[in-house]
Parts: sequence; C-alpha cells; structure tokens
Amino acid sequence: MSIKYIFLVSRQGKIRLAKWYVTMGVKEKNKVLKEVSQLVLARKPKQCNFIEHQDTKVVYRKYASLFFVAGIDLDDNELLMLEIIHRFVEVLDRFFHNVCELDLIFQFQKAYFILDEMIMAGEPQETSKKAVLKVIAQQDETEALESAERGWGDINLEGVARTVMLTVQEFKQSFNR
Amino acid sequence: MFEKSLTDLIQGLRANKRNEAEYIRRSLEEVQGEVQQSDMHCKSAAVDKLNYLHMLGYDMNWASFNVVEVMASPRFGEKRAGYLAATQSFHQETDVLMLTTNLIRKDLASANAMEVSVALDGLAQIATAELAADLFDDALAVLDHSRPYIRKKAVVCLYRLALKHPEGLHALVPQLKERLDDPDPSVVSAAVSVVCELARTNPHNYLPLAPKLYHLLTTLTNNWILIKIVNLFASLTPIEPRLARKLHGPLSRLVCTTNAMSLLYECVHTAIVGDVIGVPLPVADSIGREIDFAELCAQKLELFYESRDHNLRYVGLVTLARLQEKRPELVAGHYETVLACLDDPDLSIRMRALDVVSGMATRRTLVATVKRLMSQLVLSNAAALQPAAPGGVLGPGQQADACVGLPQTDASGTSLVSAQGALVPSNKAGAAGPDAADNPEYRLAVVEAIVGMCSRQSYENMTDFEWYVATLADLVYTAGVDVDRLLSERLLDVTVRVRQVRRFSTQMSRRLLSDSRLVSRAAAGGANAMTLAAAAYILGEYCSLLPADPDDAALLLPANLAAFTDEQQATFVQASMKTYTNWLRDVAGYWSADIWEQVRSVTSSIQRTLSQALFPSEGASSGDALEAGPDAAGDVAESAARLPLQVSSRLRQFAEAIEVVSVATSNPGDSAPPVCAELHSLFTVYELNPVSAAAQGKVPVPEGLELDSFIGIPIPDTSLKVIPPPPPQQQQPRSTAAAESSHTRGSRYSKGTGEHMERRDREGGPFYLRDDAHGGPRARGGPPDVDDIPVVALELGSEPKSEQPRPHKERKSKKHRKRKPRSPSPAPAAVDIAGDEDMPGIPTEAQPGTGPAAL
Repeated sequence: MSIKYIFLVSRQGKIRLAKWYVTMGVKEKNKVLKEVSQLVLARKPKQCNFIEHQDTKVVYRKYASLFFVAGIDLDDNELLMLEIIHRFVEVLDRFFHNVCELDLIFQFQKAYFILDEMIMAGEPQETSKKAVLKVIAQQDETEALESAERGWGDINLEGVARTVMLTVQEFKQSFNR
Repeated sequence: MFEKSLTDLIQGLRANKRNEAEYIRRSLEEVQGEVQQSDMHCKSAAVDKLNYLHMLGYDMNWASFNVVEVMASPRFGEKRAGYLAATQSFHQETDVLMLTTNLIRKDLASANAMEVSVALDGLAQIATAELAADLFDDALAVLDHSRPYIRKKAVVCLYRLALKHPEGLHALVPQLKERLDDPDPSVVSAAVSVVCELARTNPHNYLPLAPKLYHLLTTLTNNWILIKIVNLFASLTPIEPRLARKLHGPLSRLVCTTNAMSLLYECVHTAIVGDVIGVPLPVADSIGREIDFAELCAQKLELFYESRDHNLRYVGLVTLARLQEKRPELVAGHYETVLACLDDPDLSIRMRALDVVSGMATRRTLVATVKRLMSQLVLSNAAALQPAAPGGVLGPGQQADACVGLPQTDASGTSLVSAQGALVPSNKAGAAGPDAADNPEYRLAVVEAIVGMCSRQSYENMTDFEWYVATLADLVYTAGVDVDRLLSERLLDVTVRVRQVRRFSTQMSRRLLSDSRLVSRAAAGGANAMTLAAAAYILGEYCSLLPADPDDAALLLPANLAAFTDEQQATFVQASMKTYTNWLRDVAGYWSADIWEQVRSVTSSIQRTLSQALFPSEGASSGDALEAGPDAAGDVAESAARLPLQVSSRLRQFAEAIEVVSVATSNPGDSAPPVCAELHSLFTVYELNPVSAAAQGKVPVPEGLELDSFIGIPIPDTSLKVIPPPPPQQQQPRSTAAAESSHTRGSRYSKGTGEHMERRDREGGPFYLRDDAHGGPRARGGPPDVDDIPVVALELGSEPKSEQPRPHKERKSKKHRKRKPRSPSPAPAAVDIAGDEDMPGIPTEAQPGTGPAAL
C-alpha cells in the first residue's frame, strides 16, 4: 500500500486539505488537484468510488459536503483505502465531536496532525482510533500548557504600539473624509 | 498580540469573498512583517497563516527560513506548526533544508517523545538525499526507543530515508527483521508495510523473511496487518514458486472464513497473481465439497461482481480480468453477467468490464459481443447529433456528419444490415448511458476491444470475415475518436491474410473512397487519412477481383490529393496506376471503336490530372510539358522538385506509362494495341503476401555477393595525396568479412593509414555505395531522373511496386488459410533472390501489423 496523496475537496471545488507523499513540483500538484477534483465532483452517487487517472487509482468517498480523495497505485487494494479514509473520518468525527466542514477550515492544522498520526509517508501506520486520539490529546495538552506559561511575560509591546498607531491613523483618515 | 490570528484570517477570507485576492494580498503583506518579528509566538502564528494560504495555492517559499526558525522553537506547539509548514511547503530544492540537519538531529535525540515523533514525521516527508545520508544513523538509533509509538514511526521514516539513501538498506534490513518480532503489533504492522514496499521493487532480497512472514500470516488475526502480509506474498511468490504450495493452506482458509471483503479481495488477488490457484490441492467449499482453489476463487468473485455494491463490482471485475489470464475457462461461464456490466452508467466499471469481455469472446459469442459494443458507439453518436453534446476528436458537427454517412455503408452487404438490426432492441432499452459512451477514452477502449477480440490469435474466433471488414468500415464512421492507425492496419491485415475476403474488402475500399465527404474531411486534417490510404492500396492491389471500372483511377487521384502525407499520396498514385492498367487490360479483351473513344477520353483526363498534380501552378494547359522536349526538362525537374520525391517519381512514372498508351492508341484500330493488355502485368508478376517481421533477417547472404567492393573507380582524395585507388577485386568477400568481427577490421586498419582513409572515404563519400543500399541506380544519392524510374525493370528481379517501402512484404507463394497462416513455402523457381531463401521454421505467428504497414 503506498498512498500518493490525500486531499479533501468541497463540493464547490475548494481544497480543504492536501497531503502529498510523493515528490512532485507545485505545478504538477496543482494540475493533479484540479483534474482529479473535476473527475471526482462529476461522479454521481450510485457510481463506484474508484476512478482511474493516469497511472493512479483515485479512491474517493463523499461525506456531507466534502470529498475525501486519495491516490494509490494501480495494484493497491482499493477497498482497504476506502476503509482507511473512513477510519480517518471517524477519528475526525470523534475529535471534533460531529465534525463539519467548518471545523476542518478553522482548525486545518489539527486535521493535518491527525492525518499524520494515521498515515506516515504514504503508509497507513495506525489504525486504532483510540491510539490516535490519545496522542493528539497529549500533544494539545502540552501546547495548552505552554500557552498558559507564556502569561503576560513576553507580550509583544512593539506590536501593541504599532497596532495602536495604525488605529489612530485610520481613525484620523476616516475623520478627515 | 494584536496581529490577526489564524481564525481572524479565515473569517476575513470568508467575509471578503468578493475581493478575496485583494484581501489575501493585504494579509500576505502583514504576514511578511510578522514572520520577521523576534517574538516566536507571533512568528509561528504567521507561519500557520502562511500555511493556510499555501493550501489555497499561494507561494510561501520566501518564508522558508522563518519556517526553519519556528521548527527550532523550544515550545512543542510552535515546533509542531513549524514542522507542519515544512512538510507542506518544502520541496527537494528548498535551499534552507541543509540548515535543518542539526535541528532534526537534536529533535531525534530529544528526551521528549513528542518531539522525536514530530521530527520523524517531518524528516520522512522532507528528506533529500543529503539529509537522508546525514541523519540515517540518528534515525536508526531511535529504532530501539522504549516507546512502541516511536519505534513504529522510526521504521517508516527509515524506509523513506533508505529510498533517498540506498546505502542505508544494508543496515536497515536486519533491523526490520527484528522489528517483525516486536512485541507491539503496530510496530510489526509498520515493519510489514515497509518490507512489503521494499519487496515490490526488489523481491529477491526479502525472500529470507518469508518464514517469519508465514508465521505471522498463520498466527495474527488483525485484518489490517493480514492484508499487508498477503499483499507482500503477492510479490514474493512469483520468484519462489514453492511458496505457492505453502500458502495454499492459509490462503484458502482465509478465503473461506473471512468476512472482511477487503481481506478476501486481497487473498484472491494474491492467490491469482502468485499462482497459488495452480497448486493441485483440493479445498472444501462452503457446502463441504472438494473443489479446486481456482474454482473457489471464482465462486468468491461472484460475490463481488454480482453484488449491488458498485465498489465490489469494480474490484470483482478487476480480479476477474486477472483470473482470466490464468484460467480463462473459469471466467467464460460468467459471460452474461459481465456483458451486463457493459451497460453500467459508471465509466470505471465499464472499462473494467470491457477488459474482461474482450478476453472472453469465443467463436460463438464474438458477433453478438461486437454488435453490442458497436451499438454503444452508434447510439451515443446519435446523441451527439444534438448541438450541445460534447464531441470527441471530431467536433459535434463532424460527428453528425458521421451519422449521416452511416446509411451509405448500409447497402454494403447483408452483414451490415444485421449489425444495424441489432441496434433496435438496445435502443428501446435505452441501456447505454450517453454520457459514459461519449467519453473519448471509453470509445477508444471500445474500438480497441472490438478490433482486438476479432483479430486475436490470427482470427481464431472469426467466422465471417466479410462481416468483420464491414465492421471495420463502420468503425471508420462511428468511432468518433482517432483510431485511424489501428483501423488502417487491421483493414490491411485482414485483406492481405485472408484471400477469401479480398473481393469484399476491395468493394468496401471502393465505397470508402467514393465517399467524397469522408475523403475531403480526411484531407482537411481530420481523421481517417491512413485508413483511406489503406483502402487505396487494397483497391489498387486487388482491383482485378472486381469488374474493371474506369472511374477508379480518377477516384484515386482526388483533387485534394496534395493534402495527404507523402506516403499516402504515393500510395494513392500507385494504386491509381494499378486500377487504370487493370481497366486497360480488361477492355483490350473486347476492343471496339467505342472502347477506343472511351480509352482516349479516360487517358487524356488522367493525363490532365497528373500534369496538374505535377505542375500545380501552371494549370491544365501545360498538359504536354512532358512532351516538350529537352528544353522543358529543366522546368520539369524544377517543378517536380517541389513535390516529395516518392510522390513525384510515381506521378511521373504514371505519366510516362500513360504517354505510352496515349501514343499507342492515337489511331483507332481493329484490335487493342498490345501495350494495353500488357501494362497491368507489371504489377502482377508476383503476388504479395504477409511475411513474418523476422523473415528478412533470416535471408542468407547469397554466395559471391560482394557489397564492399567498388563498382566504379573511386576518385582519389587529392587533398591527402596518399591513396592510390585500390583495384576493385582486392576486397575480401563479404561473407567472410562479416564472419570476422571487429578485431579483424581493427587489424585491417592497422595495416596502414591508406586503407583506413579509404574505408573512411567509403563510409562518408558520396561516390560509395553503402552496405545497406541494395542495388538499383536509385541508391545513388543525386537528383532523381525520369530515366531512373524503373518502370520496366523486370529483368532486375524487382518489380516496380517494390519501390514502395513495404518492409513486411516479400514475394512468395503461400496458401492462405483462414485461421493460421502457414509457414511460407519457398518461392517457385522465380528469378528472385527470395526464391533461394532457406528459411525453415520461420515463426509465422504473424504479429499484428505484419501487413504492408508501410503505407
């Protein structure tokens, strides 16, 4: 099993997450994203979840308004990939408590972190939902602790001053108008 | 603190949908300032924002250095954001990557497991060859980490590093073996995946792991890992057939017991690919009968492609195609089911079904299958009549043309009519979804499948060749995609190979060429030019099988001839000459005054056409430029030089021949001039037959053939003033020269510079014949001369037609059988080099395309 890429695309064709496990130029990536999105978005509900695109088999699944799309080798197990996608969605659902597209937009890094725990370098590495959630929870906890420690100790005074200045200027400008 | 947070940015984006680009531009400007700030929190937030914009397609390479700064942050949250940005935005050429070496090394050695994990994830993604070489040992050290979570990641990370740094594999493989025994199943799983990936490219190195993997296969119960192990054996079994016997037990047990379709699919796949189904051991099926493993697999596959679930149907068909390769008889029984999948609205399923169907056709089912596929092409073409319908290679209008063109072929024969009849029921059913059948990829696949199943194994399944030729002709109109080359090759192939169909095929060719719309579309750069050229060849070569028709010659010299490629033009002209001479021979048998008049008018009309083709600018008035004597010769050469050599030489050859006829028939006579009857025999001295592509190489070099010796006295290179021209007979005979290999040449060179230079002269000089130039005055470089055209070059043993580059053809008498072309018997006692050929045991399994493909 080697996954070439995974991406999430909304029904409107907006990319919500994209992870590449093969080396590819930016242009090529964008081309694949565009072509595959078009293929996937054109599919009808009662069709199978596999499309052949060049030397890649595209496995996709639609959840609400989002398509989860993965590219795998031609002789890879398509059914397994579907199960991996489903597992990923289940973990997202548990993590965000009824995940919706907005969750993934505003907390896209979290989606990436979860994906990284489940698939590493194109290999599915963890299939236990519990294990993934435990690791992510631990990491988030550490991060929360760090933010708490920051306190007011190192407030960016410079930034504050600059923002105040800007606000004053804007205020003046609007007044002059 | 008061900078826009990531949430603000995203909200702002959503609020500014109208002028998103402007909003992003402003945000990017802000971010540019923020990443420069010394405050790490601010920097990392900026990197997060950049990361988001990167996902939307905006460049963030300019901030690579800042990303590295964030990666180096002591705080985990920031480090994590930095690594994420790096994995998303860095590529192999990112120059700051070399700055990360020490940073990652530190993180890998960190006491904090989370940092190690983040570093392993990141490294696996961004590793370059240099990074991999530098950090391989550091990653190897992590492989013994106390936490399985880290060990698991280290295994996968090392795999990625080894891809970039293959020297590392030596150290990695023993470690991997150890990890297969890891107490933690997730580490075992990772190790199996990695071995599986590595074994795909180089299975031999991982055969020693087979016993361990076999043990895992029989003891583990986790389906995820089982799938990987089974998949891994699919790579190993083909190189170690004994494994198949060993796997027979566990695999058949899994196939019988598992409920997981993905595991079942993987097992059946491995059983087929690894040829485990070939092991002659019985297994028990669901009701306890003893059956073959292959039969069991076929039974289980039914679960897939008869399922209502489209995904299962798809993978079922994929596997069925694989099973077909090994055991076609097991698949044949499911003909109806698979055929039904051809009408599935889903393109993916149709394509897979097409794969299986084309392998399934038998003598009995072939015609029905092809008709079914043809109906899909035709029906969707009908859909294309509507203006808005998407066109294939042809535009919508042209497709409509093709539909209108269809009835013209309708009258061609009974077989076609029946093909048309087959359309009606499926039309009523409306089975073919227009959208799937309109897909050019699918149409191409359909045409290839039709042609493939008809011509498989030298027409093994074909019973009605006229029907096949009619089908090919229909495809010219209905394909809707560019299948020109394929159709032209197939048309020639069947006509040349199958003697019985030639007459029909010639009729069909005449019909195709008579379709002026088809011809003008092909000339205008559209499809089918090659097919028309093939048709022209057939009409010319086999015109004597039909009643002679004086119009054929004109048909083959269409007004837009110049729009075809050189080779196609040459084919047309040559064919035209054949049909014209054939007609002359025919009318010579019942010569009369009326016939004389007709010959005069046809001849002069062709003469006009020819001179127009030769001198396009001067119009018809210069019709007698050829007769104008030596003064005009210069003009002729100049004018004709604009035409490609192969076209102009044929045109002039034809013009010369017709001039002879014109002179001979200048006065009405009681009987035909002998030239009329004899001219056609130029083309019929030998019959052209298909020859195996390898046959030419087996022709032995005749005794005494000397190609190295000079024909004329070479002109000495005066600038060097060394070499006296060698006497022509001095050279060794070629056969011995060929037998001695290059060292002989070397020693000959060393004899002296003179000989060396002489040889060099021979290779590069314009006055030397090259080895591969087979006789004939044309082999000399130099401008073409009318006199050189070997119109009547019979005594040379090469008929005029042999000018056409036709590598696959040779003169040999050969009985054609419908099914299997026999090995060509030696030619009759003809005056030909080929007659002396001693080529026993030439494999005559003529490959596709062994026809006169040079057209």
